[in-house]
Amino acid sequence: MSTRVLICDDSNLARKQVLRSLPENLSTDVQLAKDGQEALDILRNQHIDILFLDLTMPIIDGLGVLQALKDEEINLPVFVISADVQPEMQNRVLALGAKAFLRKPMQLDTLNEHLKSHGFL
Amino acid sequence: MLDNLFADLPNRLNTGILILDKNFNILMWNRFLEVHANKSDKQVIGKSIFTIFPELPRKWFERKLSSVIQLKNQTFCGWEQRHHLFELSHSRPITTDSDFMAQNCTFLPIEVEGEVERICILIEDVTDVCHYQTQLNKALNELALSNRIDGLTQAFNRKHWEECLASEFSRATRYKQELALVMLDLDQFKLLNDTYGHQGGDKVLIETTEVINELLRMGDLFGRYGGEEFAVILPNTELTGAYDVAERIRKTIENNAIEYQGKNINVTVSIGIAVMNEYDTRYEDIISRADIALYKAKNSGRNQVCVAKERSVS
Amino acid sequence: MNAFDLTEDQHDCLQELINVAMGQASDQLARYLDTFVYLKVPSIEQVRSELLFDSLNHDLKATSIVSQGFFGYEGIRGEALLMYQPLDSSRLADLLGYEADELSFDEQMIDLSSILTTTFLNVFASQIDNQMSYSAPRLLSTNLNTINQHIQQQSFNWDYALKVRISYQVTDYSFNCDMVLLIPEEAISNIKAVIDRILADF
Repeated sequence: MSTRVLICDDSNLARKQVLRSLPENLSTDVQLAKDGQEALDILRNQHIDILFLDLTMPIIDGLGVLQALKDEEINLPVFVISADVQPEMQNRVLALGAKAFLRKPMQLDTLNEHLKSHGFL
Repeated sequence: MLDNLFADLPNRLNTGILILDKNFNILMWNRFLEVHANKSDKQVIGKSIFTIFPELPRKWFERKLSSVIQLKNQTFCGWEQRHHLFELSHSRPITTDSDFMAQNCTFLPIEVEGEVERICILIEDVTDVCHYQTQLNKALNELALSNRIDGLTQAFNRKHWEECLASEFSRATRYKQELALVMLDLDQFKLLNDTYGHQGGDKVLIETTEVINELLRMGDLFGRYGGEEFAVILPNTELTGAYDVAERIRKTIENNAIEYQGKNINVTVSIGIAVMNEYDTRYEDIISRADIALYKAKNSGRNQVCVAKERSVS
Repeated sequence: MNAFDLTEDQHDCLQELINVAMGQASDQLARYLDTFVYLKVPSIEQVRSELLFDSLNHDLKATSIVSQGFFGYEGIRGEALLMYQPLDSSRLADLLGYEADELSFDEQMIDLSSILTTTFLNVFASQIDNQMSYSAPRLLSTNLNTINQHIQQQSFNWDYALKVRISYQVTDYSFNCDMVLLIPEEAISNIKAVIDRILADF
């Protein structure tokens, strides 16, 4: 069975960038969401194995998604991919339960390292 | 061949090049700086920049360089904000009044494997630009001033004086402050001109202006309203204050003999004063009330002060 | 639609490049100033030169403007305007290492502008494999009328300009400022070519 992946970013280009960077075993069953609300709708109704989440988005932003997941006890590994790379933002995100904080533009090596340490590779 | 040329290029530039390490020691400089700082390579290379140029504002300079190192960005320092950073001689010591070279400085990071290891400072001589810009600004200021003053008496001219009144009027209205106006006219000036000639008349106008100026406070606005008519705006002044000023002007002029070609000319003034009130809707209203009071002073025998009515009779 | 309008994909791509550049620039800035910089999503719009002044005037409660030109390879160039609302000059002076007796407010603003512009544009340029050079920043004026004059004069040789507006809000230090990048028509088509190249890769 393939791993179910959700990529949430308001930028089409950014979604494609993530999709393209995924290793083969993660890129077969991928869904896309263009804001936090869309992502939460999917996460509430389906089982997803891993979420790639942008922070700065309209409607519900990345921090809002993390908070909702925590409140609703939806447990899944979340990798935040963010343009805002200030240490304070990293701390906030990790405190809200994200498993990894990846900087934009995303480095393949870093992504693979994190995937490996969480058993996806 | 080309390599040699390039190696020699820094020494031919009319721009200073200075290279520092991260501890502010001078690693290299070019001939331009050697000449304008009047120090030899030997005295300088390897030394701290603060030893060689003790005039540098150390704290600011260190912070500036730290931004270049940390942010890997170029940064600037221009003559308009800081005339010069380094005390260097310049190429126009005779034809400008500048002691030191006016400078535009650029700070460039020099990266070695992704880290800023050195800083290059480029120093351009902009003494010329600075000199001409300063002269231009001075000329513009003089022009602006001459647009505001009356050439003969050096008091404000009528146009500028009215602009002042308009803005004082709206300020007083907005903040509910007092505002008084004093209009004065030299008595029998035509006769004076006929007796002493126009040059005598001019001398009277000039000296009268000087006398009045000495009696005014900072913030009072004094202008030549017409031929021999003057006007003073007194912000934040009520009637008794304005009356005192007017009386003092009248008495001082009466007692001040003006010497012209060995003779003493005695002049007097008639004065009308008005204090702003709720019926004045435009600044012109207060002028016309003061003007009417002035003519009342003239008609009642001159050399006296008259207070305007609250409303001008239409 | 005119020849210089961005397609949805081009707009999206430019927006993402700017977001990333802004994120990294803010991080550098936050480290340098030892504070946290709030990020708002930057706005990108195309303005006709004759409306540029109105559009800036509408945004602005600015009391002073600093301008800095930038130019890179492939004809990418423009002018960055840093527009400041009234700010607390003593905090800023402290931040930039000024001694109490050399409070030159104009110079501080110019210093800060240069830092904001170059940090942002350096990261932006590196994403598109470019490299920027900068002219010395200049204080246009501390008076809006003169700024208007300046912009009106500038506009004569442009029909369209791309206006990218980025707001910086810095906690701890009380300053807010907007950065507006004005990119002339010719440079827009050069940027579009670069964007299309990136899009073609995906």
